[in-house]
Amino acid sequence: MLHLFRTEWLKIKNYPGFWWIMGITVLSYPGINGMFYTIYKQQTANTKSAAQMLKMLIGNPFEFPEVFRTTAFASSMFVIIPSILVIMLITNEYTYKTNRQNVIDGWSRNEFLIAKFLNVVIITMIVIALYLLVTLSIGFSTTGADVKNKFQLANYTALFSLQTFAQLSFAFLLGLLIKRAFIALGVFIFYKIIVENIAAELLNKYVHADTGRFLPTESSDMLTPVPAFLGRLDPKVYDHALGLINQQVFVTIGYLFIFWGLVFWIYKKRDL
Amino acid sequence: MSVLQVQDLKKTYGKIQALKGVSFEIPKGAVFGILGPNGSGKTTMLSIILDVLNADSGTYSWFGKPASPDLRKHIGSLLETPNFYHYLSAKNNLKITNSISGRGDKAAIDSVLQKVKLYERRNSRFSTYSLGMKQRLAIAAALLGDPQILVLDEPTNGLDPVGIMEIRELIIDLSKKGHTIIMASHLLDEVEKICTHVAILKLGTLVTSGSVEDVLVDEDVVEIGAADIEQLKRALSNYPGITSTTHNAQTMQLHFPKGTASAEEVNRYCFNQGIALQYLAIKKKRLEEKFFELTGN
Repeated sequence: MLHLFRTEWLKIKNYPGFWWIMGITVLSYPGINGMFYTIYKQQTANTKSAAQMLKMLIGNPFEFPEVFRTTAFASSMFVIIPSILVIMLITNEYTYKTNRQNVIDGWSRNEFLIAKFLNVVIITMIVIALYLLVTLSIGFSTTGADVKNKFQLANYTALFSLQTFAQLSFAFLLGLLIKRAFIALGVFIFYKIIVENIAAELLNKYVHADTGRFLPTESSDMLTPVPAFLGRLDPKVYDHALGLINQQVFVTIGYLFIFWGLVFWIYKKRDL
Repeated sequence: MSVLQVQDLKKTYGKIQALKGVSFEIPKGAVFGILGPNGSGKTTMLSIILDVLNADSGTYSWFGKPASPDLRKHIGSLLETPNFYHYLSAKNNLKITNSISGRGDKAAIDSVLQKVKLYERRNSRFSTYSLGMKQRLAIAAALLGDPQILVLDEPTNGLDPVGIMEIRELIIDLSKKGHTIIMASHLLDEVEKICTHVAILKLGTLVTSGSVEDVLVDEDVVEIGAADIEQLKRALSNYPGITSTTHNAQTMQLHFPKGTASAEEVNRYCFNQGIALQYLAIKKKRLEEKFFELTGN
């Protein structure tokens, strides 16, 4: 396992494109959460009654423990940025035909994929580290000492990790299938943002109210629901969404097996 | 002992049958040339034995053992095109080859780069290399760690005449040291100069294989010349043992079954017939001639 990691490190350590996208990833997570937090602070800092009413209404979504859910939700919208990294790492191998050279040089096809699997795991871990950094920084700077159960919603770290890993795995599968970086990324964005949302709506409307949640990325999107203050708009729907999270964990794990099972099966059968 | 045994390999791409049941063996220490026109299945076959293509049926084994990644680590290979990370330097690309295959070390990387004359440009990105330099780097990667078996698909592609000569000498040198080299090439002259064995493919079928001597020599040809070529033709029309004769303005060729021609006896026969030969030679078929004959080109 270590030699796979070492070889992957040799591939990326002098790759400027990788470090550029990694830099954007590292900046984007604190950036987007910091932006939301700043907007919230500006809107509620005003002493006018409207601002104070808003504060009373939504509470402080950036205080412990709610901050775990808020930043997980906000961060989940930016999975497209690390997915560029994942897609780039697999499609580059096709572009340069180095995937076949790695096998010629002595890797098995499975070893090649395990090395790529490690890449996806590491990128997920970097995203999680950023999430924790942002969450804890905002949480500790906004939460008073009197707040108990600060880490009551820390389980969102695990849920966000699972969601990120599942969606990056889906991006990897598309990269492996399509082989071309821009097309794969385009398909990923188009599918995730447009196709699946429409498909979920249609399934919910015409098949069964609950079927949309079984779609490949919608299943993991439901692991990080909107922050509680938005849930108050329709408490019944929100409580239902929270109640489904445990089921969605199993659906997402199921999809992970399908994604990686397909990856290994396709690569075994495919000519390189 | 055979280094590689190929048994009835078949491969199709849609409706196209690229390999139609190819079988042959490669003896240890051979320089084995695989010849064939474009689309004959050379690269397909090399790709199968290096596990980048899956055969539809048939088997192959290295050293009598089923193919495995560990066995491949001990084979230096250049398949089709030089495949490297464009953003990395020659040195960093070879570090990846070393990391995957375990062949060579830091000193060996410098050594192979010197051997292929890329040492001065070792820190330049692969994307800045010319076609010939890319090919040299691919040869360097194949040579890394001095593997006992080399698989080289068109190794002289993109090289200048000096580069071609250097690769030829390198292969001859490696062969003398006991390495086994499997080489696909279009350059028949190169193959004839370098190879000890050949296999000729045509449209996915193995037309012939064996030692160069066996493949090239399927009959003996004695070529003779005299002042009066018509007298020579008349005198030798009934020469015992010949299968046929051919001639041109200056010379006449006597064709014998393989291993039966004797230049001395032909000379004596002519002398006894009152003809003084001006020219006498045993002719060997050239690979090019044989290739065109077998592939029907």
